[in-house]
Amino acid sequence: MRPALNELVGKYKNNLYAVAFNICKNPDDAEDAVQDTFVQYFSNKKEFETEEHVKAWLIRVAINKAKNINNSFWRKNKVTLDETMETLAFETEDSKELFETVMKLPEKYRIAIHLFYFEDYTVKEISEILKTSESNVKVRLSRGRNLLKETLKEGWENDE
Amino acid sequence: MTNKEKYKQAFSVLHTSENFSPEVEIMAKINKKNKIRAIIAACIGIFTVGGLSTTAYAANVGNIQRQIQLWVQGDQTTATLDIDETQGEYKISYTGTDGAPVEISGGGITIDINGNEKPVNEQEIMEHIMMPSVEYLDDGTIWVYYKDRQMEITDKFDEEGFCYTQIADGGQTYYMTIKKNGGYGIDTIKYPSKKNFNY
Repeated sequence: MRPALNELVGKYKNNLYAVAFNICKNPDDAEDAVQDTFVQYFSNKKEFETEEHVKAWLIRVAINKAKNINNSFWRKNKVTLDETMETLAFETEDSKELFETVMKLPEKYRIAIHLFYFEDYTVKEISEILKTSESNVKVRLSRGRNLLKETLKEGWENDE
Repeated sequence: MTNKEKYKQAFSVLHTSENFSPEVEIMAKINKKNKIRAIIAACIGIFTVGGLSTTAYAANVGNIQRQIQLWVQGDQTTATLDIDETQGEYKISYTGTDGAPVEISGGGITIDINGNEKPVNEQEIMEHIMMPSVEYLDDGTIWVYYKDRQMEITDKFDEEGFCYTQIADGGQTYYMTIKKNGGYGIDTIKYPSKKNFNY
C-alpha cells in the first residue's frame, strides 16, 4: 500500500513535528525536518504493508532528519527553547513543567520516552524504529523515567 | 491522570505552523533541493562548468568504476562512482535511507592556463568530489552545500553579483568566489579573483 501524500500530511504532520521538536528543540528546525520527511516519502516509491508501517517509517525518517539538522554546522534557526516556551499555550503549569523537564533529558532518553508516552509504541516497536535492541530501549525508558521522577516527584507516577 | 495522559496533554501544544504546506508542487521543489545537496559539483580549477544533470547516463567504452564514501543529506554512505573520461561524465549510484536506489549524474571540463578545455578525468573528479557546491533552486534561492552543511547565500552578493564565502573543515579552508548565474571558483589559499570569471 502507498497512501497519498496529502492524506499522510493531514494525519501525521503534528506527530512528526512533535518527535522532531523533541530532538531539535526548535520550531523552525522541527518543521524543516517534517518537510524533509514528507519529501522523502514523496520522492521514493516504497510500498508499505500497513498504515502503521507507514507511520513508523515516517517517524524514523523524521528522527533522522531532525538529528541531521541538529548536527548541521550551519544551523539556520537559532531560536532558543526558552523563547519557544513563551509561545506555547500549555493547559496547566504542570504540563509546562513536564514539558520542560522532558526537554532537559538526554536526547536518547527523550526520544524513547516520547515514543512510549506520546505515540503509545511498545518497547519492541520503539526498538524497531530506533534500530536498537529492546533491552537498550528498556534502559533508556527506565533512566528517563527516573530522571523525570527526580524532578517532578508527585507529578510523575512510578510506572513501567 | 496517568503519565501517558499527562505527557500527551503537555506535548499536544506542539503543532506545525499555519504556513506548513502539503502541496505536492511545493514538495517537489523542495525535493529537488534535497537531491541537489547530494550532488557533487565538478568544480575544476577556477571554474565550475558543465551543468549537473539527472539525465540518463550513456555507458561508454573506457568507463571507470569506484566505490566511494559520499555525503548524502548529512550522512556518509557508500556509493558507486562510474566515470566516462572520454566525455568527462560521471554517475553516482547509492541506496537511499529508505532502501530505494538513487542515481545522480553530471560532468565537467577543465580549462588550463592557455584556455584549452578537456573533459575531467578520474583523478580530477575524485579530488573535487567532496568540495563545496553551489546550487540555484527553483524558488530563487542560492545555496552552498558542503558535506552535512548548508548555507543560503541568496542575499550575500555584492553590486557586481559576486559572493565571497569560506568554509573551514579541520585544517583545510575553502575560499569560494561565486558569481550569480556565472559559476563559482574554489581555492584553498585565497579567494579566486572575479577577473577570472569571463562569462
